[in-house]
Amino acid sequence: MIDAVEPALLPSRIQMAFTLATHVLLVPMGVAMPFLTLLMEGIGLYRKDPVALKIARRWSVVMAVQFAVGAVTGTILSFEFGILWPRMLGRFGAAFGLGFAIEGLAFFLEAIFIGVYLYGWNRLPARVHFLLGLVLPPAGVLGAASVLSANAWMNTPGGYSLQDGRVTNVDVMSALFPRALGYEFWHFLLALYLTAGFVVASVYAVAWLRGRRDHYQRLAFAVPFTVAAVLTPAQLVIGDLSARALVEDQPAKFAAMEVTWQTRDHNPEVIGGVIDDSGNVHLGISIPALDSILVGYTPNQVVRGLSTFAADSRPNTFEVNLTHLAFDVMVGLGIVGAALSAWYLWVVWRRRRLPEQRWFYRLAALAGAGSYLTVELGWITTEVGRQPWIVYNVMRVSDAVTTAPAAFIWSMLTVLVVTYALIAFFFVTLLLRLSARWRREDLGEPGAPEVGVPYGPRPRTLEG
Amino acid sequence: MPELIAFVLLLGITAYSTAGGVDFGAGIWDLLAGQSPRGKKARELIDHAMAPVWEMNNVWLVLSIVVVWTGFPLLFQTVFSALYAIYALALLGLILRGAFFAFRHVAGEPRTHRIADLVFGVSSVLTPFFFAASLGAIAAGDLRVFSPMTVAFGLVSLAATAFSGASFLVADARRYGATELVGYFQRRAVVAAVALIVVGTLALAAIASENPGLFKAMLAGKGLPFALATMVLTPVAAFLIWRGTFRWHRVLTVGAVGSMVFAWAFAQSPYLIPGRLTIDQAIAPTPTQVLLLVVTVVLVLVIVPAIGLLVYLDQRGALESPQS
Ligand code: HDD
Ligand code: HEM
Ligand code: HEM
Repeated sequence: MIDAVEPALLPSRIQMAFTLATHVLLVPMGVAMPFLTLLMEGIGLYRKDPVALKIARRWSVVMAVQFAVGAVTGTILSFEFGILWPRMLGRFGAAFGLGFAIEGLAFFLEAIFIGVYLYGWNRLPARVHFLLGLVLPPAGVLGAASVLSANAWMNTPGGYSLQDGRVTNVDVMSALFPRALGYEFWHFLLALYLTAGFVVASVYAVAWLRGRRDHYQRLAFAVPFTVAAVLTPAQLVIGDLSARALVEDQPAKFAAMEVTWQTRDHNPEVIGGVIDDSGNVHLGISIPALDSILVGYTPNQVVRGLSTFAADSRPNTFEVNLTHLAFDVMVGLGIVGAALSAWYLWVVWRRRRLPEQRWFYRLAALAGAGSYLTVELGWITTEVGRQPWIVYNVMRVSDAVTTAPAAFIWSMLTVLVVTYALIAFFFVTLLLRLSARWRREDLGEPGAPEVGVPYGPRPRTLEG
Repeated sequence: MPELIAFVLLLGITAYSTAGGVDFGAGIWDLLAGQSPRGKKARELIDHAMAPVWEMNNVWLVLSIVVVWTGFPLLFQTVFSALYAIYALALLGLILRGAFFAFRHVAGEPRTHRIADLVFGVSSVLTPFFFAASLGAIAAGDLRVFSPMTVAFGLVSLAATAFSGASFLVADARRYGATELVGYFQRRAVVAAVALIVVGTLALAAIASENPGLFKAMLAGKGLPFALATMVLTPVAAFLIWRGTFRWHRVLTVGAVGSMVFAWAFAQSPYLIPGRLTIDQAIAPTPTQVLLLVVTVVLVLVIVPAIGLLVYLDQRGALESPQS
């Protein structure tokens, strides 16, 4: 019925979800890869290890290429706010937009210093190069924090006063630091760093499985994997804090995550399973009273159910199931990741060497893709669980959507999907070619890792 | 203070038009270079000159749009509700351009390489044309997607970017020792300057018939100094390039294009959309303005030294591959 009123709603939501989900795949490496690269460079400088420096230099190339793709997809997102949700920005831009103003600053810095860092290899004194690189990690964190501030504002809006549908005053501090930012920020920051760690390490886990096990491969595996292994267990704790905070901040989302229909005590924790329109849960494993215990540390804790919200103020059945399953798989994958991390840390700590079991490396090779998946699932939990609100309890998605014809948005979506597929193809081709070339260089061909990269340094004169 | 925010926005748009314009212009010449040996050589130079800069220019675009939605939410809503189709086309150009610029470095076969060249070139035409067209729709005051004003602004932007691109490529050809391309781009810069003067005049005629108030403000009101500056700087820059006096031609080119943007903006102030929405009507509450200004000041304080560092290293050749 809503779709009849706002024909562009469905394609707009799909388009927003598609472009955001793509952009966020580039974010972990964009924000956290500079840290890993600098860590490697630092090790190389400290131990005078040319292999570590070579690895760092190669990673910096990947970082730069990926930054370029991130910049394109991010620019698209900014325009989509106008093309898809003009009424939301028109009403709340003065409060919601603040985070993005700071984001611009952070990305500006990143863009410049990635350039300096990439071109500066072997052309600047080693120490100066390293010090200039130190600008990158904080700039990335600042950028992530400010986007998250905007997202947290959508979840727990505040810091503005409305009159006749217009924002008449803004409290900058409460608009920039919405309550949800406290947990979303730390949870997301850890997610970025551990994802980058697992993804980079997974490349070298594959190499290990193929029999390449020299100093180069081991170092390039151990550094990022150690970072990820230390952070993953902490992530479970922070994730738990987020979930607990939602009980107060967004009870409908929490009820959807746990498929709770009736408000009750001794509420079971349902793992898997789907709910139907009348609130019955099918399939799934139900652990008696566990949800109540997790929320209030006692089985007598009362947990609010979906049926206490008006039908037009809570996610619909499909959205509830999506939120629930996404949440469960995120938690499941998080636990698997923590187990893998524990295995690794145990071996490193007790035996003072890397694990040697093939199974370990098989799992490590999957951990990269697994973390990307987990990040996507986390965002599905956050965004779909907030439905039907674009600004929680204040503005519905259907009141924000554009008045453009649905056919237009569908066409735009189609074009975007095709071009993104092309970009993904080029991106992967480029990385594979780089990797093949580096392998050749290891066998003796000379050359600098950055040469020939689209955003890499230029020779002083044109060839030929 | 609202005027200050509007001025920050104007600076963002101007930076994108001038710095981004150089890049788009290079793309246009890339499209027109053809497959002759000399065309290939020109394309190689273009690639070489552009490689490290384009994402930087995206930053100006993003910054401008953020200032619009935080500083002037109502402008953002009004403009996008009416002109979404124009922006979608500009965006399409933007993605394709980025993707295919990267792709031609990866493309192995000559045929795919040619396709990549073509898409890159065409998208370099789409983006400036449609971004400028949206400004034309705003300047007309009626926000119509298709009107003499949108077409006129689009064409002016093509001529202006082609001019900026050629002017900078002359310098790049000298810098990278491609002597035979200096004359090649000198000629193109002069042709583009003449084209710019012609379409500029036609655009003024379009403005006079579509929005006489704006026309008057441009030639007799607040826009006048900048309109005059464009009219003087464009031929002077073209003359210097033609004569082979390569000292100031880039600064003058940027000045010519920048003044054009200023002439439009000052002529329509205090309106953001002539006849419909003023700066004061659209402006966000004071605390938001303060934050925007603080961010702008920090940006200037941080970015200017950073860009200075980049330019310094670039000039020292510290950012180029060692000769092999
Ligand atoms: C690799 C990453 C990763 C891992 C291992 C986990 N999460 Fe997560 N989670 C995210 C990555 C993520 C995310 C993608 O980063 C999200 C999306 C929004 C956000 O702030 O973080 C998220 C959101 C998110 C939310 C929604 C927050 C909101 O709507 O404001 C909750 C309740 C949890 N997570 C809970 C957990 C729990 C209980 C986990 C493990 C036991 C867990 N997450 C592991
Ligand atoms: C970065 C990772 C993010 C992902 C993967 C993501 C994912 C999604 C998804 C899946 C939807 C569609 C929900 C539905 O159709 O039911 C959505 C909607 C939306 N998201 Fe997010 N989101 C992300 C972050 C953000 C951020 C940071 C913002 C804003 C600051 C944001 C703003 C929106 C808006 C405006 C919508 C449209 C309204 C809606 O359908 O909920 N998202 N997002
Ligand atoms: C949680 C969500 C997000 C995070 C952490 C994030 C982070 C980043 C990062 C790190 C980059 C730099 C490119 C890279 O390193 O890959 C980037 C680029 C960009 N992002 Fe996102 N992003 C998020 C969501 C969004 C959303 C919702 C928008 C838009 C409205 C957006 C707009 C942009 C823009 C405009 C750029 C390009 C900046 C430039 O040109 O330098 N991002 N983002």
